[in-house]
Amino acid sequence: MFRRYLRFVRALSIDLVGRAGVVLVTSSAVVFLLFLLGNLTGVVTNAYVGLLSFMVLPALFVLGLILIPIGWYRTKARTGLSLRELVDRRFGPEELEGGPLGAPLVRMLALMTGLNVLILAIASLAGLHFMDQPQFCGTACHKVMNPEWTVYQQSPHSRVACVECHVGEGVKAHFDAKLNGLRQIWLATFNLYRRPIPTPVHTLRPARETCEKCHWPEKFYGNRLKTIVHYGDDRASTPRYTTLSLKVNTSLEEGGIHWHVARGITVRYASLDDERQEMIWVDVARPDGSHTRYVNRRLDEEPRSEDVRTMDCVDCHNRATHIYETPVGAVEARMRRGEIDRSLPWVKKVAVAALSGSYPSAEAARRGIASNVAAFYRRHDPAVLAGKAAAIDRTVAALQAAWERNVHPYMNLEWGTYPSFLGHRESKGCFRCHNRDLQDETGRWIPDDCTLCHSILAEDASGPFQNLETPGEKDPLRFKKEYLRQEFLHSLAR
Amino acid sequence: MRVSHAVVAGLVVVGLAVGAWGATGETTVAGRCMTCHKEKSPGLYQQWLGSAHAANSVTCLDCHKADRRESDAYEHYGAFIATLVTPKDCGRCHKREAEEVGNSYHATAGEILDSKDAYLAHVAGGEPVAIQGCEQCHGGKVIVDPQAPNKLSKKSWPNTGVGRLNPDGSKGSCTVCHTRHAFSKAQARQPEACGKCHLGPDHPQEEIYRESKHGNIFYTHRNEMNLDAAVWVPGVSYSAAPTCATCHMSATSTQKVTHDVGERIAWTLRPPVSKHKPDWQRKRKNMKEVCTACHENQLVDGHFYQFDATVRLYNEKFAKPATEIMKLVRKKGLMKHRAAFSNKIEWTYWELWHHEGRRARHGAAMMGPDYTWWHGIYDVAKNFYFEFLPEAEEYGDSEVNAAIEKLLEDNPMHNWMDRPTPELKKEIRSGTMQETYENLYGSH
Repeated sequence: MFRRYLRFVRALSIDLVGRAGVVLVTSSAVVFLLFLLGNLTGVVTNAYVGLLSFMVLPALFVLGLILIPIGWYRTKARTGLSLRELVDRRFGPEELEGGPLGAPLVRMLALMTGLNVLILAIASLAGLHFMDQPQFCGTACHKVMNPEWTVYQQSPHSRVACVECHVGEGVKAHFDAKLNGLRQIWLATFNLYRRPIPTPVHTLRPARETCEKCHWPEKFYGNRLKTIVHYGDDRASTPRYTTLSLKVNTSLEEGGIHWHVARGITVRYASLDDERQEMIWVDVARPDGSHTRYVNRRLDEEPRSEDVRTMDCVDCHNRATHIYETPVGAVEARMRRGEIDRSLPWVKKVAVAALSGSYPSAEAARRGIASNVAAFYRRHDPAVLAGKAAAIDRTVAALQAAWERNVHPYMNLEWGTYPSFLGHRESKGCFRCHNRDLQDETGRWIPDDCTLCHSILAEDASGPFQNLETPGEKDPLRFKKEYLRQEFLHSLAR
Repeated sequence: MRVSHAVVAGLVVVGLAVGAWGATGETTVAGRCMTCHKEKSPGLYQQWLGSAHAANSVTCLDCHKADRRESDAYEHYGAFIATLVTPKDCGRCHKREAEEVGNSYHATAGEILDSKDAYLAHVAGGEPVAIQGCEQCHGGKVIVDPQAPNKLSKKSWPNTGVGRLNPDGSKGSCTVCHTRHAFSKAQARQPEACGKCHLGPDHPQEEIYRESKHGNIFYTHRNEMNLDAAVWVPGVSYSAAPTCATCHMSATSTQKVTHDVGERIAWTLRPPVSKHKPDWQRKRKNMKEVCTACHENQLVDGHFYQFDATVRLYNEKFAKPATEIMKLVRKKGLMKHRAAFSNKIEWTYWELWHHEGRRARHGAAMMGPDYTWWHGIYDVAKNFYFEFLPEAEEYGDSEVNAAIEKLLEDNPMHNWMDRPTPELKKEIRSGTMQETYENLYGSH
């Protein structure tokens, strides 16, 4: 059988081109099958090997298949012989004599064609599957995607594949994605892309198709208690607690935060540009058919049509996955998790100063963070340097990792390049729309009360529920606490 | 059974809470103000939180609450408030202080609207500079604008002028010295508080203080001034140095604190020719009492002996003759243009008394030698001899020229100009020159 195969391919290699085709087809098929085996068994996971196995090898395979008939065509033209004559010359009569299942050549051709189709099918399917894996998206264009890939892996959605949100459903979505991918390969190859990459607000999949597969609006009910811990710049890095009861429900009656995406509610807005920071108008349509338009009394610009948008998840949750921290936020989160040692004096202040330094590269950042921290203690508290060396090392390592997670000099991605619109701490957030400039024709503005979205159970307080405790007679904040306690109880009873 | 009891109990608690919510008292309304303003104007909130007001449960509403019938009242998240807080509002608690301020010269500062200064700003400058330049110190008339979100016209708010004319009829603004929202005593006691207005070419009190020994010691020993003491008495609660407030307002061992800044000022050093103020002996005595917290009587008497002489020197040698000549020029209609301040000589005369003459007098009052002479009388003399008189002579009017000639030839203070220098120097050395000025010194 093998000898028959050898004879067949030898006869097929009619000239140099035909021979090259045969060699290409055979070798790429063998290597492909080997890599496929490696991939299936989990031995090979590298994205570049994946690119080779599922894109380059199949391409070479097809190229080889094309070269073979070209070789035959060239020979035919050169010798002036007919195809029949050429076949007769290349293959012996025993190959051409018909048996019960046709001539052996025909059978061999059918077998090989079947095999080729099979290999191509496997390659396509495996290729598509490979390209659906986050590993591919995250590491194939590694310089470009490294920031997003890094933060994605540490995000709440790290078990949700990129394509679940970025590609969408159906053939067209897949086709668009691949086409866009080709464009991006072009941009990446010739270094034509912008750094930092602007948020692709116009090409994002609609949230209704993506986010709502898991987080559908009816799912949000009740209130969500959240305690935020800030640490002071004092020697003890004293913790201060802010506890919010977030009114996240979707109910039309209660008017919780997710009211914006409740069934029957359509909120549309026109922003000044696609940064979506400044609103020209905001329009809300209600289930009863009524609608109200709030117009920014400080602007008289006309919106461009592409900046008019129906609000969905990403208008607030703009960093649901690719979450970048602020220096203070990064330090406080690591302090809370214990990665930064709170027993070090002044550690909050030192850590934020070290982390927010301006470093041109990861290597410079590693050195700079270590030397910043050491220099502080050498100057202000030398005993700590010797006595708590291990804690300092651990803190420095945590800070270095935090820097590398959040700052990517190659992509010009610094602290604060991609602020989050959630809340109102990192950016204007909710107050982009909820402010006194956006008024309806009667002069009412979109409500901006603090307790509209959350009850406040503690605010920069020494305990997480300070507003629920009975304040002292001399407490200057007792009226505030009393108000907030009542507001909270009222929100529960609603 | 137990569970249902718990549920009922829970419902009762919640019901009570909701009941309480329905009947929100003023205190919880204030709590609501604080909740939002902590976020939306955190600086303001933090200033209040650290203030004596916060420590004594004085909340936003205590100052800002308004009756809906008041012209500047408006509804803000369900509560009627006014942005503008006037001495009348502050006087609800600080009664004596509000009364003293109301009776003080400070409270009349808004009357500048009809004075020369405001005229000059309007004709030579224009409304924007009158609003920002004049009214921010002197105080403007607060205009209620029903269309404005806070019911105040943008042309008249912000304004913290010391003589602000408020819609409720009161005059002034406490926040000019007690800056909101900390209303810190310590701040009002320091010279920078007064320096908000009392500085510059026409009344450089802050600069003079800085030059004086008093200022010198203050800036060196600021942290020994016990500035936030509840009762602040020189020689008792602090002794390093006096500030503006110490001499003009603060309590002493014998006097109460006063918010009428004129209570210890004997001369008016403001007008072209200085005069004693009504009841000036008592006021001078008040000031001397302050001085004696640190100084003995002879030093105090000596200072005022020197000071009074410099004021009279300015009056007699320059201010009165210049004013007389200016009157004559006006009376005879010699000036080319009709309007006030449309002729150069008017500006020259104005600077003579309003800038240079005041600098000299204030410098003398507060022991700033450089302001008394180089920024003061030196500039007055230079102006008088080489600008003002030549400009008056340029009209070629015989009556004016005769007056000038008479002054320069007959007046013993002025007739030095055509005499040989060695002779004048000899007179200075022998003391005969000084005798010319002997009558300027008072008896005490």
